[in-house]
Amino acid sequence: MGVHTFETMGTVVSIRLATDAGASAGALADVHRVFDDLDQRFSLYAPESELSLIVAGVLPLSHAGPEMRGAYTDALGWRERTNGAFTPHRPDGVLDLSGLIKGVAVEQAGLVLERHGHRVFSINAGGDILTGGVPAEGTWITGITDAADRTRLLTSVGLTPDWPAAATSGSAERGNHIWRRPDTDRSFLQATVIAGDIVTADVLATAIIAGGRPTLDHVTDRFRIAALVQLADGALLANPAFRALIARDPDGTPSSIPTASAAGSSTQS
Amino acid sequence: MRRLSTAIVGVGSVAVLVVGWLAGSNRFTDDVPVAPSTRLPTTTPTSPPSDSGPSAVPSPTEAVPLATAYDGQLIETKYGTVQVRVVFTDGVITDVVALKLTDTSETSVEISARAAPILREEVLAAQSAAVSNVSGATYTSQGYLGSVQSALDAAGFTG
Repeated sequence: MGVHTFETMGTVVSIRLATDAGASAGALADVHRVFDDLDQRFSLYAPESELSLIVAGVLPLSHAGPEMRGAYTDALGWRERTNGAFTPHRPDGVLDLSGLIKGVAVEQAGLVLERHGHRVFSINAGGDILTGGVPAEGTWITGITDAADRTRLLTSVGLTPDWPAAATSGSAERGNHIWRRPDTDRSFLQATVIAGDIVTADVLATAIIAGGRPTLDHVTDRFRIAALVQLADGALLANPAFRALIARDPDGTPSSIPTASAAGSSTQS
Repeated sequence: MRRLSTAIVGVGSVAVLVVGWLAGSNRFTDDVPVAPSTRLPTTTPTSPPSDSGPSAVPSPTEAVPLATAYDGQLIETKYGTVQVRVVFTDGVITDVVALKLTDTSETSVEISARAAPILREEVLAAQSAAVSNVSGATYTSQGYLGSVQSALDAAGFTG
């Protein structure tokens, strides 16, 4: 297992490849470019980024490129599906798509790796993880940090092709992009969502922190996800799909607890 | 009450009628005008239909009794969606049919999918050395250096 890291989007991306084929240097360069290209377009820290120009009023959103308009449309769709908990607009009105773009970048990076022939891989972008294929260990064993002590793990789960993606959002992180509604219960310290794709996992983890308990109920009702929430007093909440994930064997063999069906029918259209 | 097996839907007049069905806490929230055949105006749950005014009652125009059906709105309740159909014959309610009742099985699925408290002991899996990635709230480039992920990466770092 080869491990590669690079810095982008204000964080560090860690990539693991089961086979370090000779072509992996090209694959890694292409993956790095995926992150950097999206960062250059969507960063609010770079004054000349397309999004910064929109926010500055120089470029109308209606004249922006198709990637920008597509991302904005996707973000509005997620706002709809999370009852407004996930939103592309900051409270001050500034358009901020960073809550969506990192997940999009990880998703595209996975496609790039597959195009280069890497079927067994993991990508971890600042705590948001997408895995591909099945490693020699049987699953991609993934730890979930304890929000109260980042050097400790709350638990670990095995990611597999049916549950390949995990994302965690916290309420106390510096530089995060979560804007809570004023009436949101603040007892939700950290939310981890495991899903069939990284964008869903990332967006819904963000939404749960932003919207609290009503959003947690809403999204666990409607999406095929496994969710673990850490509360400020240290208590944990988990849905049945998450319980099933931690109960299954290390090699990913499903336990007797149903997983996909327990998460309900997916209506994430 | 179910003596009518068919109902004629779509007569142009609107009957103001009332059904004592789900009157309690459920709100009729849809204010969008709809066709008479699907609109169920609401007033108080106890008024008899004859109080609805002369224009509201379809008049029989032929010898056979004229049945008119009015479908209520879809009402979102805490437990699911409910809709009723009320059938008049000669201005008298002759049937009330539940078109859609709360799907209790679906509701129970939804509730069972929700997150509930879980003991730490249940999630404390072996924090084994086999962990390859750590999911946590986003760390910054600086934060990475002190993160568990950084240590994991260092253990298998190849460049």
